[in-house]
Amino acid sequence: MVRLTPYEQQMLDGKMGAFKQKALEFIVRYAEVLGAEELCEISRATCFIGAQHYLDCYPDDKDYEEIFSEFYLSSDETVPFGTTAPRCKAQTCAACCDIEDHEKTHLPEEFVKKNRRFLEATKKMGISIVDSCTPYYCGWVPMMGEHFVTTESSNVVISNTIYGACGNSDGVEAAVCAAISGRIPKWGMHVPENRFGTCLFHLDFEVHTQMEWDLLGFTLGRLLPKHEVPIIENGLYNIEINNMRQLCAALSVTSAAEICHIVGHTPEARTLEDALGGKEPKYVIHVTERDMQESLAMICDKGSGPVDFVSIGCPHISLDEIQAIASYVKGKHLPAGTELQIWTDYAVKSLATLNGYTKIIEETGASVLTGSCPIVMKEESHKHAKSMVLFGSKQAFGIRHQSSATVYYGEVKRCIDAAYKGRWEEA
Amino acid sequence: MKEFVLKGRGALKGIAEGEAVVCPDSIAGNSGALGDTDGVIYERGNVNYGVCINGKILVVPCAKGSNGFSAHFKGAQIAGVTPAGWVATRMDARLGVAVASMGIPCVADFPEDQNPLDKIKTGDWVKIDGTTGEIIVKSKK
Repeated sequence: MVRLTPYEQQMLDGKMGAFKQKALEFIVRYAEVLGAEELCEISRATCFIGAQHYLDCYPDDKDYEEIFSEFYLSSDETVPFGTTAPRCKAQTCAACCDIEDHEKTHLPEEFVKKNRRFLEATKKMGISIVDSCTPYYCGWVPMMGEHFVTTESSNVVISNTIYGACGNSDGVEAAVCAAISGRIPKWGMHVPENRFGTCLFHLDFEVHTQMEWDLLGFTLGRLLPKHEVPIIENGLYNIEINNMRQLCAALSVTSAAEICHIVGHTPEARTLEDALGGKEPKYVIHVTERDMQESLAMICDKGSGPVDFVSIGCPHISLDEIQAIASYVKGKHLPAGTELQIWTDYAVKSLATLNGYTKIIEETGASVLTGSCPIVMKEESHKHAKSMVLFGSKQAFGIRHQSSATVYYGEVKRCIDAAYKGRWEEA
Repeated sequence: MKEFVLKGRGALKGIAEGEAVVCPDSIAGNSGALGDTDGVIYERGNVNYGVCINGKILVVPCAKGSNGFSAHFKGAQIAGVTPAGWVATRMDARLGVAVASMGIPCVADFPEDQNPLDKIKTGDWVKIDGTTGEIIVKSKK
């Protein structure tokens, strides 16, 4: 049985209106499913909403208020839209499309309009349109101990690991209901004793480049025993946010990890003892270069060949990376029949445009796109591609659920070289 | 035919039964891994690739992959394709949202010596009681 505060009980009784009542009903049911005994207040949320493909179960002309009630609030009756919790900063997560473009992403114009219509409705509730899977590049800076929800799995790991904030990999319906009610079950990562590391990874090699960081995340996720909390003891070089982003995103593809301590570098792992909470690790795993090669074989197809579709930016990339790409591609021209998509969010693209980077990149024939990615846009956006080059592994591995095209993967500059040559050369 | 009982924690009440689909590495929550409207597992490398979840008892260690996990199952449910129930070695947040949102019976959090992944095989007939946490398995072998 979940214990509620008087305020929460009033909300559940409908004193704050049906919208918040339904949202809290869901959160309480979720808490019961988890076995949580109480709730905690959240102060920020990202929500994976808009015309996402999980709503393909509804006809195009279905009223959004009806959809919202049934899908997110799990309500049998349609509840009029209300507002999000006043103390919760709420924003959208990655979107199902670029907010304006439909031609470069091969989507029907009506779909892009429908997405905007849905996002405008949720904006009125209090959920700002941000459309980012890397919200920490544009203002998502939770404090240590702050409680959050986010529908981006890599942002769960980033926010728990780097900031010491507290959040679980809940899911779309919970994030929406948490944003509305301001509450989430006090369970999992919200409870300090669950955050200690239990599985110690020792690397038999050094990790320097962005692809190596990405591949390491994918590998550790494969090796991590279910339900355990990983600690990386050694081997990491060039520790900075963009590399960390790739590690956390890839880790979330192959595992359900929500935090990843790095000894000496993350706030709850100042020392190994700190990370372990004074206990012995349940598992000690030596990771080998062979493990990394096995991961690479799962992500990148063998051989060389022509390519017609290249996408960079999974998760969405930062301003400094766009700057580096602009500098690298300046004056080049994409061959006919090959497309290069660079994915970021609106805030970062605005800065890239201000600095002239967008113009340099787009003059080569490439596109700087915002808010989404080929996987989230799904088949319609990439079904024409015969041979793809994708970075990072979350994209290159995940696209295989949707496509039978050849998929290559490598360091970002190598992926970009493949776009401008129209061909992938095996290393 | 062998019959045995396992006992976990009733996570969402109700009684359900059906053929077990055992996914030792779970099912990815990433877009496209589960068909949004047909409920077919399209995750590359999944031992149950091509299997439709409709009417099945899904036996998993936990959830996996994207936080979109629950939404893809919920979408398929609204499209009319839904598992009968869930059996999970241990509950986690991704799965918890799916269970709460879909409102179908679930038993989770089994003792170590009763891990359903070790005891149940795909094709076994499983009856779950989401109130008591008891599951009855009728094994083919």
